Amino acid sequence: MTSVLINAFKRLNLSIRPQVKVISSSYSTAVTTANSLNVTQKEWKYPPLYTKPREVWIENLDTVEEKKLGLFELHPSVYAAMPRIDIIHRNFVWQTKYRWVSWAHTKTRAEVRGGGRKPWPQKGLGRARHGSIRSPLWRGGGVAHGPRSGKTHFFMLPFHLRIHGLTSMLSAKLAQDDLHVVNNLELPTDESNYLADLIENRNWGPSVLIIDDTDIAPRNITVATDSLPHVNIMPVYGLNVYSMLKHDTLVLTLAAAERIEERILHHLNAITTEQQREFKLSQV
Amino acid sequence: MGSRQITEKSLSILRSLPRISVGNIRDNPGSKVTQKRGRGQHGGDKHGAGNKGSGQRQNYMRLGYETGNNPFYLRMPQEPYYRGHHHRREYPPLSLLQLQSLIDTDRIDVSLPVDLASIIKSGLYNFYPEQKQFGINLTDEGADIFAAKINIEVQWASEQVIAAVERNGGVITTAYYDPHSLFLLKNPKHFFKTGAAIPRRMIPPPDVIEYYTSAETRGYLADPEKISQERLKLSQKYGYELPQVENDSFYEMLCERKDPRQIFYGLEPGWVVNLKDKCILKPTDKELLRFYSS
Amino acid sequence: MATVWRSQCAFARLLIGKIAQNPNNSPDLCTKLFQGPISVTSRNYSNYANSPFIERIKEQYEYDIIKNPPEWAYVERLLPFDTIPVVTPKENYPSGWIPPREEAVHLPYFVSRTKNHELPIYLNITYRGMRKITKIKKIEGDIWLLNDTLKAHLKETAGKYVETRVHELGKFIEVKGDYVNVIRNWAHSKGF
Repeated sequence: MTSVLINAFKRLNLSIRPQVKVISSSYSTAVTTANSLNVTQKEWKYPPLYTKPREVWIENLDTVEEKKLGLFELHPSVYAAMPRIDIIHRNFVWQTKYRWVSWAHTKTRAEVRGGGRKPWPQKGLGRARHGSIRSPLWRGGGVAHGPRSGKTHFFMLPFHLRIHGLTSMLSAKLAQDDLHVVNNLELPTDESNYLADLIENRNWGPSVLIIDDTDIAPRNITVATDSLPHVNIMPVYGLNVYSMLKHDTLVLTLAAAERIEERILHHLNAITTEQQREFKLSQV
Repeated sequence: MGSRQITEKSLSILRSLPRISVGNIRDNPGSKVTQKRGRGQHGGDKHGAGNKGSGQRQNYMRLGYETGNNPFYLRMPQEPYYRGHHHRREYPPLSLLQLQSLIDTDRIDVSLPVDLASIIKSGLYNFYPEQKQFGINLTDEGADIFAAKINIEVQWASEQVIAAVERNGGVITTAYYDPHSLFLLKNPKHFFKTGAAIPRRMIPPPDVIEYYTSAETRGYLADPEKISQERLKLSQKYGYELPQVENDSFYEMLCERKDPRQIFYGLEPGWVVNLKDKCILKPTDKELLRFYSS
Repeated sequence: MATVWRSQCAFARLLIGKIAQNPNNSPDLCTKLFQGPISVTSRNYSNYANSPFIERIKEQYEYDIIKNPPEWAYVERLLPFDTIPVVTPKENYPSGWIPPREEAVHLPYFVSRTKNHELPIYLNITYRGMRKITKIKKIEGDIWLLNDTLKAHLKETAGKYVETRVHELGKFIEVKGDYVNVIRNWAHSKGF
């Protein structure tokens, strides 16, 4: 049985191989057509050992048509990690749950109005014995084990699952061609039509998440995105799995891409005993 | 190679799949099992608790109780090995082999004197001063392979360990730290951030005064003359030639010692370290100077 | 009135007593201390009657503030590592640690080191020592080829068929039985 499965997997590999080749050949043709191309070879503190670095085009935002300004290398341990859907899901569940306080509320038999008096004597009537008309057995009585308000669903996902969630999500976005790197966020106008046209023209999904490494984005892009609810800007420190899942396309500036890479590589190579310690509410 | 690589393969499969979004992700099948109480033939009836008694009521007898017999743990006379264990000082071990691997993987810089702070900094030695741990007990596992010339300060060391360190031209000192200074040594950055002045190190309690003043154990309160005599004696006992520290290129590093009142190398008690502005505040007040000079 | 006076005196002496013990040696206490007959240095008075009254509380002590002092090197060596240091090549490693070799990258499969520069080969013991499983993590490249090679090697060394389990998505292989040393030697021979 297992050998059949293994053979099936091997056949699957063979069937995929030509597809990858096609993609790589299309890249090489693009390289020859572009004229003034700058390919940045990066010096990493932790150079990739086995997996090759990923290359992405640097695009522009100052024209509606896409211009390829150069090639940019991304570190494979951040942008080409194993895309673990289950870890992405666990991050998603964590992000929805940690901020969720459930306000559903029911009254117990003590809180429902009335019911202090014994409805009828214990014995002699031939009826079932009852002590209160608000017992959970009664219609209009209290609720036993019902929801009580102010229940938090807070929990903390382990540190390295959070890191792995980010790398999985970034890798998945890059693999599905949903991650774009732009040189900067300067737009020629502050018209939101311009940005909508640009997104339409480049076939970016309707919703776009733009990440920059500073808190303050240029004026034109902030005004343009203000009336587009599905185009959002976020600083690097706000990057999270939930937002990446919610938006179709992820647009990183060059600086943001490098900053994300640097922070995640730091956590992958540092002593993280402090971060891995059990989370206590008082530690914040 | 291409798609035989597992990561490349999964990423290329992902290319031909719909975009990952909130609607199409899920956890691994079987990762979450909701506990349900079965009914009837599906594990109903007694729910695995058995009929009557302890199984149903969880009234397990206390540990060691033998339903009325004289229990096993009371049958023999008392042997108080652990009397007062919660008052005893504990020295968690670090073997010479572990120390050597820390040095080999550059976790410890041997061109500087090594003390408790630098070993904890390596991140591979667990140390909890709140659990009455008082420092490192350097053990002799790997004494044969140990080949580093170091100036090390530990809290407890056996004769073999001292011989193993000195055979390689190194220097070993045993020194006492009171619990308060151990907390500072464990996390110096945290202490510097508090903005408090570096305190004095306390003198050892009476029962270890002898250990830390004797030259055989290389105590930090021992007479240096006697220590050099003992170094020679030990080399003759174990049959190795004692390397001359005086002619060494690392002579200054090997001679560096802490003051009995000092906690960190090079930083005196009473100083305040400001990490943000990179400055050190040194007291000039006569009263404070008198206090911190012990 | 007299009782109030007495209680005030008692309070002052309590304070002095606390400071005289100087429990954690902290100079924070010093800012609350008194000059004159009452000193920072611990001094135990034999009884209340002999202990002096508070004269003047010293708020601020004199300090020299030294920017970029020569002692800063001593502070820097105490600060934690930013990231785990990369091992500098040495002639020999007495502890038995073996550095990864360059040529291992050209193999069709690869086992990367952990961030602590160790091989990710572990032994999981479950069922009270009845089940031992060796786990090789952080595998890259052709995991199935590695599985075949490893199985053949284990059959050769152990002299019997050894069960393995390949987890592609988790990038690990589990081997039934305690083969940590065998696999570690094999990995070193491959240069991982």
